[in-house]
Amino acid sequence: MPDAAIRFDAVTKSFGDRRVLDEVSFEIPRATAFCLLGRSGTGKSVTLRHIIGLMRPDSGRVFVNDEEVSALDSRGLSRIRQGMGFLFQNAALFDSLTVGENVAFPLRRHQRHLSDSAVRRAARDKLAQVGLEPDYDKMPADLSGGMRKRAGLARAMALSPPLLLVDEPSAGLDPITAGEIDQLLVDLKGQQGTTLVVVTHNIPSARAIGDELALLDNGRIVARGTAAMLGQSADPLVRAFMRSEGSG
Amino acid sequence: MTMLDTVGNRVAQAAAWSGELSLFAARSIREVFRPPYEVGETLRQLYELGVRSMPLITVAGLAVGVVLSMHTRASLERFGAEAMIPAGLTLALVKETGPLTAGLLLSGRIGAGIGAELGAMKVTEQIDALEATAVDSFKYLVVTRMVACVIALPILTTMMNGAGIVGGYLAEAALVQTSPQLYFDRAFSLVDFADLVPATLKTAVFGFIIAIVSSFLGMTTSQGTEGVGRASTRSVVLSSVVLIVVNVVLVRLIFLLFPETA
Repeated sequence: MPDAAIRFDAVTKSFGDRRVLDEVSFEIPRATAFCLLGRSGTGKSVTLRHIIGLMRPDSGRVFVNDEEVSALDSRGLSRIRQGMGFLFQNAALFDSLTVGENVAFPLRRHQRHLSDSAVRRAARDKLAQVGLEPDYDKMPADLSGGMRKRAGLARAMALSPPLLLVDEPSAGLDPITAGEIDQLLVDLKGQQGTTLVVVTHNIPSARAIGDELALLDNGRIVARGTAAMLGQSADPLVRAFMRSEGSG
Repeated sequence: MTMLDTVGNRVAQAAAWSGELSLFAARSIREVFRPPYEVGETLRQLYELGVRSMPLITVAGLAVGVVLSMHTRASLERFGAEAMIPAGLTLALVKETGPLTAGLLLSGRIGAGIGAELGAMKVTEQIDALEATAVDSFKYLVVTRMVACVIALPILTTMMNGAGIVGGYLAEAALVQTSPQLYFDRAFSLVDFADLVPATLKTAVFGFIIAIVSSFLGMTTSQGTEGVGRASTRSVVLSSVVLIVVNVVLVRLIFLLFPETA
Protein backbone atom coordinates (compact mmCIF):
# COMPACT_ATOMS: atom_id res chain seq x y z
CA MET A 1 0.00 0.00 0.00
CA PRO A 2 1.40 3.42 -0.92
CA ASP A 3 1.73 6.01 1.86
CA ALA A 4 0.03 8.71 -0.21
CA ALA A 5 -3.69 8.15 -0.65
CA ILE A 6 -3.90 11.04 -3.11
CA ARG A 7 -1.33 12.75 -5.26
CA PHE A 8 -1.76 15.75 -7.56
CA ASP A 9 1.03 16.18 -10.05
CA ALA A 10 1.07 19.64 -11.71
CA VAL A 11 -2.68 19.61 -12.34
CA THR A 12 -4.06 22.43 -14.44
CA LYS A 13 -7.73 23.02 -15.19
CA SER A 14 -9.34 25.93 -16.99
CA PHE A 15 -12.93 26.87 -17.78
CA GLY A 16 -12.87 29.11 -20.82
CA ASP A 17 -10.24 31.75 -20.19
CA ARG A 18 -10.29 31.22 -16.43
CA ARG A 19 -7.55 29.00 -15.01
CA VAL A 20 -9.02 27.46 -11.86
CA LEU A 21 -6.14 25.11 -11.02
CA ASP A 22 -2.66 26.19 -12.06
CA GLU A 23 -0.10 23.37 -11.89
CA VAL A 24 -1.30 22.28 -8.46
CA SER A 25 0.80 19.58 -6.81
CA PHE A 26 0.30 17.99 -3.40
CA GLU A 27 0.09 14.66 -1.59
CA ILE A 28 -2.31 13.53 1.10
CA PRO A 29 -1.00 10.75 3.37
CA ARG A 30 -3.24 7.78 4.14
CA ALA A 31 -5.53 7.98 7.18
CA THR A 32 -5.13 11.70 7.60
CA ALA A 33 -7.59 14.58 7.33
CA PHE A 34 -6.73 17.22 4.78
CA CYS A 35 -8.77 20.43 4.79
CA LEU A 36 -8.81 22.58 1.70
CA LEU A 37 -9.58 26.23 2.36
CA GLY A 38 -10.06 29.15 0.05
CA ARG A 39 -12.40 31.83 -1.10
CA SER A 40 -15.46 30.94 -3.16
CA GLY A 41 -14.64 30.01 -6.74
CA THR A 42 -10.98 29.21 -6.12
CA GLY A 43 -11.24 25.61 -7.29
CA LYS A 44 -11.75 23.67 -4.04
CA SER A 45 -14.74 21.67 -5.31
CA VAL A 46 -12.99 21.27 -8.68
CA THR A 47 -10.11 19.64 -6.82
CA LEU A 48 -12.48 17.14 -5.19
CA ARG A 49 -14.06 16.39 -8.57
CA HIS A 50 -10.66 15.60 -10.03
CA ILE A 51 -9.98 13.11 -7.23
CA ILE A 52 -13.16 11.14 -7.93
CA GLY A 53 -12.78 11.46 -11.70
CA LEU A 54 -15.83 13.62 -12.37
CA MET A 55 -13.42 16.03 -14.07
CA ARG A 56 -10.21 15.40 -15.96
CA PRO A 57 -7.28 17.80 -15.84
CA ASP A 58 -6.27 19.79 -18.91
CA SER A 59 -2.72 18.81 -18.01
CA GLY A 60 -1.05 17.03 -15.11
CA ARG A 61 -2.04 13.83 -13.37
CA VAL A 62 -4.16 12.78 -10.40
CA PHE A 63 -3.36 9.59 -8.48
CA VAL A 64 -5.44 7.73 -5.92
CA ASN A 65 -3.55 4.91 -4.23
CA ASP A 66 -0.88 5.26 -6.93
CA GLU A 67 -3.47 4.63 -9.67
CA GLU A 68 -3.81 7.44 -12.20
CA VAL A 69 -7.47 8.43 -11.98
CA SER A 70 -7.15 10.88 -14.85
CA ALA A 71 -6.22 8.01 -17.21
CA LEU A 72 -8.89 5.48 -16.20
CA ASP A 73 -11.76 4.43 -18.45
CA SER A 74 -15.34 4.21 -17.15
CA ARG A 75 -14.86 0.68 -15.77
CA GLY A 76 -11.67 1.66 -14.01
CA LEU A 77 -13.36 4.72 -12.56
CA SER A 78 -16.29 2.65 -11.37
CA ARG A 79 -13.91 0.25 -9.60
CA ILE A 80 -11.91 2.98 -7.90
CA ARG A 81 -15.03 4.97 -6.91
CA GLN A 82 -16.29 2.03 -4.86
CA GLY A 83 -13.51 2.90 -2.44
CA MET A 84 -14.59 6.53 -2.18
CA GLY A 85 -17.49 8.44 -0.70
CA PHE A 86 -18.44 11.90 -1.87
CA LEU A 87 -20.58 14.45 -0.05
CA PHE A 88 -21.69 17.07 -2.56
CA GLN A 89 -22.01 20.71 -1.60
CA ASN A 90 -25.80 20.56 -2.09
CA ALA A 91 -26.04 16.91 -0.94
CA ALA A 92 -27.36 15.81 -4.39
CA LEU A 93 -29.78 13.30 -2.90
CA PHE A 94 -31.79 11.29 -5.42
CA ASP A 95 -35.15 13.02 -5.12
CA SER A 96 -37.15 10.04 -6.38
CA LEU A 97 -35.94 7.87 -3.46
CA THR A 98 -36.62 8.13 0.26
CA VAL A 99 -33.82 9.24 2.54
CA GLY A 100 -33.28 5.65 3.63
CA GLU A 101 -33.20 4.35 0.07
CA ASN A 102 -30.68 7.06 -0.84
CA VAL A 103 -28.34 5.66 1.81
CA ALA A 104 -29.18 2.08 0.83
CA PHE A 105 -28.53 2.79 -2.86
CA PRO A 106 -24.73 2.23 -2.86
CA LEU A 107 -25.21 -0.90 -0.75
CA ARG A 108 -27.79 -2.35 -3.13
CA ARG A 109 -25.52 -1.61 -6.09
CA HIS A 110 -22.20 -2.83 -4.73
CA GLN A 111 -22.95 -5.27 -1.92
CA ARG A 112 -25.41 -7.49 -3.72
CA HIS A 113 -24.77 -10.38 -1.33
CA LEU A 114 -26.58 -8.47 1.43
CA SER A 115 -30.22 -9.29 2.05
CA ASP A 116 -32.84 -6.56 1.86
CA SER A 117 -33.15 -6.48 5.64
CA ALA A 118 -29.36 -6.26 6.07
CA VAL A 119 -29.23 -3.34 3.62
CA ARG A 120 -32.02 -1.56 5.47
CA ARG A 121 -30.32 -2.18 8.81
CA ALA A 122 -26.99 -0.84 7.50
CA ALA A 123 -28.71 2.22 6.03
CA ARG A 124 -30.48 2.87 9.34
CA ASP A 125 -27.14 2.58 11.18
CA LYS A 126 -25.55 5.16 8.88
CA LEU A 127 -28.52 7.48 9.28
CA ALA A 128 -28.33 7.06 13.06
CA GLN A 129 -24.70 8.21 12.94
CA VAL A 130 -25.83 11.54 11.50
CA GLY A 131 -28.95 11.75 13.69
CA LEU A 132 -31.49 11.02 10.96
CA GLU A 133 -32.61 7.48 11.74
CA PRO A 134 -36.24 8.58 12.38
CA ASP A 135 -36.31 10.19 8.93
CA TYR A 136 -35.63 6.96 7.01
CA ASP A 137 -38.95 7.03 5.13
CA LYS A 138 -39.08 10.74 4.39
CA MET A 139 -38.48 12.12 0.92
CA PRO A 140 -35.50 14.47 0.45
CA ALA A 141 -37.90 17.33 -0.38
CA ASP A 142 -39.30 17.04 3.16
CA LEU A 143 -35.90 17.68 4.78
CA SER A 144 -34.25 20.98 5.68
CA GLY A 145 -30.99 21.92 3.97
CA GLY A 146 -28.93 20.81 6.96
CA MET A 147 -30.77 17.49 7.19
CA ARG A 148 -30.20 16.87 3.48
CA LYS A 149 -26.52 17.53 4.05
CA ARG A 150 -26.41 14.95 6.84
CA ALA A 151 -28.31 12.43 4.73
CA GLY A 152 -25.80 13.03 1.94
CA LEU A 153 -23.00 12.33 4.38
CA ALA A 154 -24.70 9.10 5.46
CA ARG A 155 -24.91 8.04 1.80
CA ALA A 156 -21.25 8.92 1.26
CA MET A 157 -20.36 6.72 4.27
CA ALA A 158 -22.64 3.86 3.22
CA LEU A 159 -19.90 1.60 1.87
CA SER A 160 -17.51 2.59 4.69
CA PRO A 161 -15.05 3.84 2.07
CA PRO A 162 -11.36 4.25 2.95
CA LEU A 163 -11.43 7.66 1.24
CA LEU A 164 -14.10 10.24 2.00
CA LEU A 165 -14.39 13.49 0.04
CA VAL A 166 -16.51 16.07 1.79
CA ASP A 167 -17.61 19.37 0.28
CA GLU A 168 -18.67 21.91 2.93
CA PRO A 169 -19.85 19.49 5.64
CA SER A 170 -21.02 22.18 8.04
CA ALA A 171 -22.68 24.58 5.59
CA GLY A 172 -26.27 25.15 6.63
CA LEU A 173 -25.90 23.36 9.96
CA ASP A 174 -26.37 24.84 13.41
CA PRO A 175 -23.16 25.01 15.49
CA ILE A 176 -24.08 22.00 17.66
CA THR A 177 -24.89 19.73 14.71
CA ALA A 178 -21.84 21.04 12.84
CA GLY A 179 -19.72 20.08 15.86
CA GLU A 180 -21.28 16.60 15.90
CA ILE A 181 -20.52 16.13 12.19
CA ASP A 182 -16.93 17.29 12.77
CA GLN A 183 -16.60 14.76 15.58
CA LEU A 184 -18.09 12.02 13.39
CA LEU A 185 -15.47 12.73 10.71
CA VAL A 186 -12.68 12.74 13.31
CA ASP A 187 -13.97 9.40 14.64
CA LEU A 188 -14.10 7.92 11.14
CA LYS A 189 -10.46 8.79 10.65
CA GLY A 190 -9.44 7.60 14.11
CA GLN A 191 -11.44 4.37 14.28
CA GLN A 192 -11.55 3.23 10.65
CA GLY A 193 -8.42 4.89 9.27
CA THR A 194 -10.48 6.80 6.71
CA THR A 195 -8.59 9.36 4.65
CA LEU A 196 -10.57 12.61 4.64
CA VAL A 197 -10.42 15.44 2.14
CA VAL A 198 -12.63 18.23 3.39
CA VAL A 199 -13.45 21.45 1.58
CA THR A 200 -14.63 24.06 4.02
CA HIS A 201 -14.91 27.76 4.78
CA ASN A 202 -15.45 27.01 8.42
CA ILE A 203 -12.14 27.56 10.21
CA PRO A 204 -13.22 26.12 13.60
CA SER A 205 -14.39 23.04 11.70
CA ALA A 206 -11.09 22.84 9.79
CA ARG A 207 -9.16 23.16 13.05
CA ALA A 208 -11.24 20.36 14.61
CA ILE A 209 -10.97 17.95 11.69
CA GLY A 210 -7.77 18.69 9.82
CA ASP A 211 -4.37 17.18 10.45
CA GLU A 212 -3.24 19.43 7.70
CA LEU A 213 -4.79 22.50 6.08
CA ALA A 214 -4.08 24.05 2.70
CA LEU A 215 -5.19 27.37 1.28
CA LEU A 216 -6.03 27.65 -2.43
CA ASP A 217 -5.81 31.06 -4.06
CA ASN A 218 -5.63 32.02 -7.72
CA GLY A 219 -5.38 28.39 -8.74
CA ARG A 220 -2.39 27.61 -6.52
CA ILE A 221 -1.86 26.26 -3.03
CA VAL A 222 -0.38 29.30 -1.29
CA ALA A 223 -0.03 27.82 2.19
CA ARG A 224 -0.01 24.36 3.69
CA GLY A 225 0.56 23.01 7.19
CA THR A 226 -1.07 22.38 10.53
CA ALA A 227 -3.64 24.86 11.82
CA ALA A 228 -1.02 26.22 14.24
CA MET A 229 1.50 26.73 11.43
CA LEU A 230 -1.01 28.52 9.23
CA GLY A 231 -2.09 30.64 12.19
CA GLN A 232 1.46 32.00 12.44
CA SER A 233 1.86 32.62 8.71
CA ALA A 234 3.30 35.93 7.55
CA ASP A 235 0.95 35.93 4.52
CA PRO A 236 -1.90 38.41 5.19
CA LEU A 237 -4.43 36.28 3.25
CA VAL A 238 -3.58 33.17 5.28
CA ARG A 239 -3.72 35.11 8.54
CA ALA A 240 -7.05 36.67 7.56
CA PHE A 241 -8.46 33.25 6.75
CA MET A 242 -7.23 31.62 9.95
CA ARG A 243 -8.58 34.45 12.10
CA SER A 244 -12.04 34.27 10.56
CA GLU A 245 -14.73 32.29 12.30
CA GLY A 246 -16.93 32.10 9.22
CA SER A 247 -19.24 29.14 8.95
CA GLY A 248 -19.49 29.29 5.34
CA MET B 1 -21.35 39.97 -38.62
CA THR B 2 -23.18 39.56 -41.91
CA MET B 3 -26.39 37.63 -42.34
CA LEU B 4 -24.42 35.01 -44.24
CA ASP B 5 -22.10 34.56 -41.22
CA THR B 6 -25.09 34.20 -38.92
CA VAL B 7 -26.69 31.58 -41.16
CA GLY B 8 -23.35 29.81 -41.50
CA ASN B 9 -22.89 29.70 -37.72
CA ARG B 10 -26.39 28.35 -37.23
CA VAL B 11 -25.82 25.62 -39.81
CA ALA B 12 -22.48 24.70 -38.19
CA GLN B 13 -24.14 24.58 -34.74
CA ALA B 14 -26.96 22.39 -36.06
CA ALA B 15 -24.45 20.06 -37.72
CA ALA B 16 -22.41 19.80 -34.51
CA TRP B 17 -25.56 19.16 -32.47
CA SER B 18 -26.71 16.46 -34.92
CA GLY B 19 -23.27 14.85 -34.75
CA GLU B 20 -23.33 14.78 -30.95
CA LEU B 21 -26.86 13.36 -30.96
CA SER B 22 -25.81 10.65 -33.44
CA LEU B 23 -22.84 9.65 -31.27
CA PHE B 24 -25.13 9.61 -28.23
CA ALA B 25 -27.58 7.34 -30.08
CA ALA B 26 -24.79 5.03 -31.28
CA ARG B 27 -23.39 4.78 -27.75
CA SER B 28 -26.82 3.85 -26.39
CA ILE B 29 -27.08 0.96 -28.87
CA ARG B 30 -23.56 -0.25 -28.06
CA GLU B 31 -24.17 -0.08 -24.31
CA VAL B 32 -27.32 -2.24 -24.52
CA PHE B 33 -25.13 -5.25 -25.20
CA ARG B 34 -22.44 -4.54 -22.61
CA PRO B 35 -22.80 -5.73 -19.01
CA PRO B 36 -23.83 -4.89 -16.38
CA TYR B 37 -27.45 -5.06 -17.53
CA GLU B 38 -29.74 -2.77 -15.58
CA VAL B 39 -32.71 -5.17 -15.65
CA GLY B 40 -34.41 -3.86 -12.50
CA GLU B 41 -34.22 -0.22 -13.58
CA THR B 42 -35.36 -1.11 -17.11
CA LEU B 43 -38.45 -2.84 -15.69
CA ARG B 44 -39.11 0.18 -13.47
CA GLN B 45 -38.90 2.45 -16.53
CA LEU B 46 -41.15 0.08 -18.47
CA TYR B 47 -43.73 0.59 -15.73
CA GLU B 48 -43.21 4.37 -15.47
CA LEU B 49 -43.11 5.07 -19.21
CA GLY B 50 -45.24 2.22 -20.51
CA VAL B 51 -47.83 1.05 -18.03
CA ARG B 52 -48.53 4.57 -16.79
CA SER B 53 -49.16 5.72 -20.36
CA MET B 54 -51.93 3.16 -20.85
CA PRO B 55 -54.84 5.34 -19.65
CA LEU B 56 -53.81 8.17 -21.99
CA ILE B 57 -53.43 5.80 -24.93
CA THR B 58 -56.74 4.03 -24.26
CA VAL B 59 -58.78 7.23 -23.97
CA ALA B 60 -57.06 8.79 -26.99
CA GLY B 61 -57.52 5.58 -28.99
CA LEU B 62 -61.26 5.47 -28.24
CA ALA B 63 -61.68 9.11 -29.26
CA VAL B 64 -59.67 8.66 -32.46
CA GLY B 65 -61.75 5.57 -33.29
CA VAL B 66 -65.01 7.48 -32.84
CA VAL B 67 -63.86 10.41 -35.00
CA LEU B 68 -62.38 8.13 -37.66
CA SER B 69 -65.61 6.15 -37.77
CA MET B 70 -67.64 9.32 -38.30
CA HIS B 71 -65.37 10.44 -41.15
CA THR B 72 -65.29 6.97 -42.72
CA ARG B 73 -69.08 6.76 -42.61
CA ALA B 74 -69.42 10.23 -44.16
CA SER B 75 -67.11 9.21 -47.03
CA LEU B 76 -68.35 5.67 -47.69
CA GLU B 77 -72.06 6.53 -47.40
CA ARG B 78 -71.74 8.50 -50.64
CA PHE B 79 -70.84 5.28 -52.44
CA GLY B 80 -73.31 3.10 -50.55
CA ALA B 81 -70.40 1.20 -49.08
CA GLU B 82 -71.34 1.37 -45.38
CA ALA B 83 -70.42 -2.30 -45.00
CA MET B 84 -66.79 -1.32 -45.62
CA ILE B 85 -66.70 1.08 -42.65
CA PRO B 86 -65.17 -1.37 -40.12
CA ALA B 87 -62.49 -2.55 -42.55
CA GLY B 88 -61.70 0.97 -43.80
CA LEU B 89 -61.42 2.28 -40.26
CA THR B 90 -59.23 -0.61 -39.14
CA LEU B 91 -56.88 -0.30 -42.10
CA ALA B 92 -56.52 3.45 -41.57
CA LEU B 93 -55.85 2.88 -37.87
CA VAL B 94 -53.33 0.06 -38.01
CA LYS B 95 -51.39 1.31 -41.04
CA GLU B 96 -50.84 4.91 -40.05
CA THR B 97 -53.23 6.73 -37.73
CA GLY B 98 -52.64 4.50 -34.71
CA PRO B 99 -48.82 4.34 -34.88
CA LEU B 100 -48.36 8.03 -35.66
CA THR B 101 -50.90 9.28 -33.12
CA ALA B 102 -49.45 7.01 -30.44
CA GLY B 103 -45.93 8.18 -31.32
CA LEU B 104 -46.86 11.86 -31.11
CA LEU B 105 -48.88 11.47 -27.92
CA LEU B 106 -46.05 9.57 -26.26
CA SER B 107 -43.42 12.01 -27.44
CA GLY B 108 -45.45 14.54 -25.46
CA ARG B 109 -45.89 12.48 -22.33
CA ILE B 110 -42.65 10.50 -22.28
CA GLY B 111 -40.40 13.02 -24.02
CA ALA B 112 -41.34 15.86 -21.69
CA GLY B 113 -40.97 13.57 -18.68
CA ILE B 114 -37.53 12.28 -19.61
CA GLY B 115 -36.25 15.74 -20.61
CA ALA B 116 -37.45 17.34 -17.38
CA GLU B 117 -36.38 14.49 -15.08
CA LEU B 118 -32.87 14.11 -16.47
CA GLY B 119 -32.51 17.87 -16.78
CA ALA B 120 -33.42 18.35 -13.12
CA MET B 121 -31.04 15.54 -12.13
CA LYS B 122 -28.29 17.21 -14.13
CA VAL B 123 -28.64 20.67 -12.59
CA THR B 124 -28.94 19.31 -9.04
CA GLU B 125 -25.80 17.16 -9.45
CA GLN B 126 -27.76 13.91 -9.05
CA ILE B 127 -26.16 12.53 -12.22
CA ASP B 128 -22.72 13.31 -10.77
CA ALA B 129 -23.87 11.66 -7.53
CA LEU B 130 -24.74 8.50 -9.49
CA GLU B 131 -21.27 8.50 -11.02
CA ALA B 132 -19.71 9.14 -7.61
CA THR B 133 -21.47 6.03 -6.28
CA ALA B 134 -19.75 4.05 -9.06
CA VAL B 135 -22.85 3.77 -11.25
CA ASP B 136 -22.57 4.34 -15.00
CA SER B 137 -25.14 7.13 -15.34
CA PHE B 138 -25.46 6.64 -19.10
CA LYS B 139 -26.41 2.99 -18.76
CA TYR B 140 -28.58 3.60 -15.70
CA LEU B 141 -30.50 6.61 -17.00
CA VAL B 142 -30.34 6.56 -20.80
CA VAL B 143 -30.06 2.92 -21.88
CA THR B 144 -32.82 1.79 -19.50
CA ARG B 145 -35.21 4.45 -20.79
CA MET B 146 -34.32 3.70 -24.40
CA VAL B 147 -34.94 -0.04 -24.01
CA ALA B 148 -38.19 0.61 -22.11
CA CYS B 149 -39.45 2.96 -24.86
CA VAL B 150 -38.48 0.55 -27.66
CA ILE B 151 -40.46 -2.22 -25.94
CA ALA B 152 -43.37 -0.05 -24.79
CA LEU B 153 -44.21 1.82 -28.00
CA PRO B 154 -45.32 -1.19 -30.12
CA ILE B 155 -47.38 -2.50 -27.19
CA LEU B 156 -49.00 0.88 -26.58
CA THR B 157 -49.65 1.28 -30.30
CA THR B 158 -51.41 -2.09 -30.36
CA MET B 159 -53.51 -0.88 -27.43
CA MET B 160 -54.32 2.31 -29.28
CA ASN B 161 -55.35 0.38 -32.37
CA GLY B 162 -57.56 -1.89 -30.24
CA ALA B 163 -59.15 1.04 -28.43
CA GLY B 164 -59.67 2.81 -31.77
CA ILE B 165 -61.50 -0.18 -33.26
CA VAL B 166 -63.68 -0.41 -30.15
CA GLY B 167 -64.33 3.35 -30.39
CA GLY B 168 -65.30 2.88 -34.03
CA TYR B 169 -67.72 0.14 -33.08
CA LEU B 170 -69.27 2.29 -30.34
CA ALA B 171 -69.75 5.15 -32.80
CA GLU B 172 -71.37 2.83 -35.31
CA ALA B 173 -73.52 1.16 -32.68
CA ALA B 174 -74.82 4.56 -31.64
CA LEU B 175 -76.00 5.27 -35.18
CA VAL B 176 -77.11 1.93 -36.56
CA GLN B 177 -77.93 -1.42 -35.13
CA THR B 178 -74.90 -3.66 -35.63
CA SER B 179 -73.74 -6.80 -33.89
CA PRO B 180 -70.26 -6.73 -32.31
CA GLN B 181 -69.33 -10.03 -33.95
CA LEU B 182 -70.25 -8.84 -37.45
CA TYR B 183 -68.46 -5.52 -36.91
CA PHE B 184 -65.24 -7.09 -35.70
CA ASP B 185 -65.33 -9.81 -38.38
CA ARG B 186 -65.58 -7.08 -41.03
CA ALA B 187 -62.98 -4.94 -39.23
CA PHE B 188 -60.27 -7.57 -39.62
CA SER B 189 -61.43 -8.98 -42.97
CA LEU B 190 -58.95 -6.94 -45.04
CA VAL B 191 -56.09 -6.67 -42.53
CA ASP B 192 -53.17 -9.01 -43.05
CA PHE B 193 -49.66 -9.47 -41.62
CA ALA B 194 -48.05 -6.88 -43.91
CA ASP B 195 -50.56 -4.23 -42.89
CA LEU B 196 -50.31 -4.78 -39.17
CA VAL B 197 -46.84 -5.95 -38.16
CA PRO B 198 -44.44 -3.56 -39.97
CA ALA B 199 -46.55 -0.52 -39.09
CA THR B 200 -46.68 -1.55 -35.44
CA LEU B 201 -43.00 -2.46 -35.22
CA LYS B 202 -41.94 0.85 -36.73
CA THR B 203 -43.08 2.45 -33.48
CA ALA B 204 -40.09 0.77 -31.81
CA VAL B 205 -38.05 3.25 -33.86
CA PHE B 206 -40.35 6.03 -32.61
CA GLY B 207 -39.62 4.87 -29.06
CA PHE B 208 -35.90 4.98 -29.75
CA ILE B 209 -36.17 8.52 -31.15
CA ILE B 210 -38.26 9.81 -28.23
CA ALA B 211 -35.94 8.30 -25.61
CA ILE B 212 -32.68 9.35 -27.26
CA VAL B 213 -33.65 12.91 -28.19
CA SER B 214 -35.16 13.68 -24.79
CA SER B 215 -32.36 11.91 -22.85
CA PHE B 216 -29.74 13.83 -24.83
CA LEU B 217 -31.43 17.14 -24.11
CA GLY B 218 -31.88 16.23 -20.44
CA MET B 219 -28.30 15.06 -19.96
CA THR B 220 -26.91 18.22 -21.58
CA THR B 221 -29.09 20.63 -19.63
CA SER B 222 -27.47 23.73 -18.19
CA GLN B 223 -28.57 27.07 -16.73
CA GLY B 224 -30.65 25.83 -13.79
CA THR B 225 -34.41 25.53 -13.68
CA GLU B 226 -34.82 27.64 -16.81
CA GLY B 227 -32.66 25.10 -18.61
CA VAL B 228 -34.84 22.26 -17.27
CA GLY B 229 -37.97 23.89 -18.70
CA ARG B 230 -36.24 24.41 -22.02
CA ALA B 231 -35.02 20.81 -22.12
CA SER B 232 -38.54 19.56 -21.46
CA THR B 233 -40.11 21.70 -24.18
CA ARG B 234 -37.40 20.99 -26.73
CA SER B 235 -37.66 17.26 -25.99
CA VAL B 236 -41.29 17.26 -27.09
CA VAL B 237 -40.80 19.52 -30.10
CA LEU B 238 -37.66 17.89 -31.46
CA SER B 239 -38.67 14.29 -30.84
CA SER B 240 -42.02 14.98 -32.54
CA VAL B 241 -40.38 16.60 -35.56
CA VAL B 242 -37.73 13.87 -35.91
CA LEU B 243 -40.43 11.22 -35.47
CA ILE B 244 -42.62 12.69 -38.24
CA VAL B 245 -39.69 12.99 -40.65
CA VAL B 246 -38.38 9.49 -39.91
CA ASN B 247 -41.93 8.17 -40.34
CA VAL B 248 -41.82 9.24 -44.01
CA VAL B 249 -38.65 7.17 -44.50
CA LEU B 250 -40.11 4.19 -42.62
CA VAL B 251 -43.35 4.21 -44.62
CA ARG B 252 -41.32 4.27 -47.86
CA LEU B 253 -39.20 1.40 -46.53
CA ILE B 254 -42.29 -0.63 -45.64
CA PHE B 255 -43.66 -0.08 -49.16
CA LEU B 256 -40.38 -1.32 -50.59
CA LEU B 257 -40.21 -4.40 -48.36
CA PHE B 258 -43.95 -5.19 -48.48
CA PRO B 259 -45.17 -3.97 -51.91
CA GLU B 260 -48.63 -5.41 -51.28
CA THR B 261 -49.25 -2.73 -48.63
CA ALA B 262 -48.73 0.14 -51.08
